[in-house]
Amino acid sequence: MRTIDDFTRPLEYLSPLDDPLGMVVREWAETCVIPYRRRFDEDWKEHELIEPAFKRLMGELGMQRVLFPEDLGGWGLGRSNYAGTSSYRLFEEVARADSGMAVAFGVIYWPMVMICMEPHVNRELCEEFAPIFCSTTEPRFAANAMTEPQGGADIENMEIVKGSTIQTTAVLDGDEWVINGHKLWPTNSGGVCNLFGVVCTTNPGSEDPNDFAFIFVPADTPGVTQGPPYEKAGMAADKNGDIWFENVRVPKSYRAHGPGLDLLYFKEVITFGNMGSIAFVGGSMMNVYERLKDFVSEETYRGKPLKEHDAVAGVLADIARDIEIIRIVGYQYARMIDRPDLYGPRWSDEMVAKGRAYKYWACDRAVEDVGKAMNLMSTYGADRDWDVEKHWRDLKIVQLWMGGKQLCQAEVARWFFECETL
Amino acid sequence: MSDHDLFPYLYEWASDMDVSLAGNLRRWAENEVMAKRLELKEDYEQLLEPAMRKLFLEIGMQRLLWPEEHGGDGHNTPAASLTITAALEQVARGDVGIALLLSSLWALQSAVAMEGAVNGEACAALAEAVAGRDEPALVSLVLPLFRDEPQAAAKHGKGGWTVEAASTRPLACGGNASLYAVLCALQGSEEEWGVLLIPGDAKGIERGDALKRTGLAADINTPVSFGKVKVPEGMCVAEGREACRAMLSWLYLGISASTVGALFASYEILKEWGDSRVIKGRGHIFKENPLTAAVMAEVAKETSLARMLTWDLARILSEPAVYGPPGQEGNHVTAAMVVHQVSQAAENAINRAMEMMASAGYAREWNLERYWRDVKALQLCLGPYELAKMDVSRYFYRASTL
Ligand SMILES: Cc1cc2nc3c(=O)[nH]c(=O)nc-3n(C[C@H](O)[C@H](O)[C@H](O)COP(=O)(O)OP(=O)(O)OC[C@H]3O[C@@H](n4cnc5c(N)ncnc54)[C@H](O)[C@@H]3O)c2cc1C
Repeated sequence: MRTIDDFTRPLEYLSPLDDPLGMVVREWAETCVIPYRRRFDEDWKEHELIEPAFKRLMGELGMQRVLFPEDLGGWGLGRSNYAGTSSYRLFEEVARADSGMAVAFGVIYWPMVMICMEPHVNRELCEEFAPIFCSTTEPRFAANAMTEPQGGADIENMEIVKGSTIQTTAVLDGDEWVINGHKLWPTNSGGVCNLFGVVCTTNPGSEDPNDFAFIFVPADTPGVTQGPPYEKAGMAADKNGDIWFENVRVPKSYRAHGPGLDLLYFKEVITFGNMGSIAFVGGSMMNVYERLKDFVSEETYRGKPLKEHDAVAGVLADIARDIEIIRIVGYQYARMIDRPDLYGPRWSDEMVAKGRAYKYWACDRAVEDVGKAMNLMSTYGADRDWDVEKHWRDLKIVQLWMGGKQLCQAEVARWFFECETL
Repeated sequence: MSDHDLFPYLYEWASDMDVSLAGNLRRWAENEVMAKRLELKEDYEQLLEPAMRKLFLEIGMQRLLWPEEHGGDGHNTPAASLTITAALEQVARGDVGIALLLSSLWALQSAVAMEGAVNGEACAALAEAVAGRDEPALVSLVLPLFRDEPQAAAKHGKGGWTVEAASTRPLACGGNASLYAVLCALQGSEEEWGVLLIPGDAKGIERGDALKRTGLAADINTPVSFGKVKVPEGMCVAEGREACRAMLSWLYLGISASTVGALFASYEILKEWGDSRVIKGRGHIFKENPLTAAVMAEVAKETSLARMLTWDLARILSEPAVYGPPGQEGNHVTAAMVVHQVSQAAENAINRAMEMMASAGYAREWNLERYWRDVKALQLCLGPYELAKMDVSRYFYRASTL
């Protein structure tokens, strides 16, 4: 019988970790998530059902440690040449069960990309923060706090807006940064975060790249307040809320790299965000395939399984085609991340623009395809019991986050067509 | 400017009464649902049920299409298609789930209570259940889920019919219907199909657990089994494919108009966003940005065209003398095409409106995501589009085996 494993992966460049890690996560998904996930929507605030699954994945199986150097208790993925492809597989497997969990898990890595990835490892900060994640079997959460009330897209729109809209300020006072501002929506906020990576400006309104600062703030620092989680259309496993920073003081060394370099490497964060988003889409879509296949094989129409009706099969083919291509494109982008020697630095405008292109393409396909899958299922498509509607609700935000589709379009047009004013 | 002026339709088709009813229902939507939903969200007991009771009973929508001689308001001419369109646009703007309940009720009423074809026996028997003054008339339609395959069968015998079906999936209110209207494959009759009317408390009905679904919180749906349920002779209404199709055409009109109402609400939310949000950090008002304005234009276009098409369908159903009866193959296919087109346009438009609003579009607080979920769930009531296309091709290309 064909399964999700029959969707193609580029076998010639997978890391040796790909399958063993993938199988560990699949086993976790089958035992800790899939049996419970239909009750996750009601658990959005308390996380009573969701939390034990996080504990198993991140704390006990140790997935929250993977990016940190080995000698600090991590798995050293940040210094390997397969951080992209291995993370892709991990994210895909988690998202197959629940893409909200996948983003919560993926975002633990996200701010760490700034300090754990070669060639720009910040050893001092790795040593500082590794214990939070590496010396416990409890789940620990990091968040990448970019979005502000006045808009998230502009903060990521570096080429044109150049950080001039960032209103969270960082002022150097002796050996400490003093941070003031209001962020909202970061994954792993809403009360659960242990460590924030905060996008700040050292000079409000400035378009100078040197004034962009990425500063780490432990969540228990005085002056940090996390609001309760928001209620959303889906993604119950990801908590998002407001964070207020009021005269928050952290050591000067908590700035990731310093003027100019913070912005440069922050673009690599965007690259990873795009890669992760494609993996979330691909993983969810593979589960849609599984559930849809069950449905169209069991349900009959005119005495035959629904899938044997030619017109229905045409749509099934389109869906399978898109999953196949999303997976190939996703792995390809992950591979480009793994081989900067061939494809250029991960923070280049080219890598960012191409990642945006793949991400928004994958998201558009997914939103349309899952909508069609639900339609083929008639009124059952709206049932929680069939899981497809959950993926439909969850996936919509993957299309909207990280600045949304229009920012993707602007960056892609800007790079390929050399537009200058978009 | 109200939606009525902004999104055009051929006004001359609507009567003064239709326009004034729409105005009243607009106020119902605003006062009974929209003003309270920030606090009450989708709470059935506190928000949706009281709003529905007010609409069905106090405002009296459940009596609108019912014949005067059976205690209704006597608005039971084909022109009611225009009235229900005007009404459902406004009801759905408030709540799409309530609009679905009303669409189901009106579809059934169209089958038994239309002037010139009033089914006296059925109307007398049903007056309390579907047009009474004490309880909301919740009609649960049990229709084919996959095109032309009824979920239930009815056997004709001495003294009436016996309905048998396991685990059917009603269109709506399986869990609390006052009446089930079950489209059955008829055995022992010259006609292939018929709609059997079964009171909610009939012997032999078994309801499953309430279903958790994407949207339409006003609808309490469950699977329903009918175990050898006895139905008197006169309660088989809409006998024959054409009669069943007529009821479906009215249902499709109701769903189409409800979808338009959801589009109005989505447009309003997006407009508020576009008027106030600033992007690019240089005082650019959102709606003035060409890239986003192009997407907003799509939303307006889909809304406008969906409305026009829906009113065209209403007009066709309102004039059987000109266009033929609603169950005629061509009209049924038109109704199916319109409702699928409107529904897909709405899915696209609300998807795109969410793009514009990013996380605000995804947050419960802004309500847009609620219309997104409701409109999708409403679309699924129509069954797979791929199968509906077979009816379209059958009609237009005279295909015979599809
Ligand atoms: C589940 C979830 C997880 C999230 N995770 C994170 C996270 O980890 N970290 C974080 O910082 N944020 C996070 N966000 C926030 C998310 O990234 C933002 O919502 C997104 O970046 C868009 O920002 P916004 O909502 O403020 O909308 P806006 O910035 O107001 O943008 C709205 C829309 O305007 C358009 N637009 C904006 N600017 C332009 C432009 N210059 N040109 C053309 N069109 C434009 C786009 O269509 C965009 O979609 C998350 C949100 C959700 C719901």
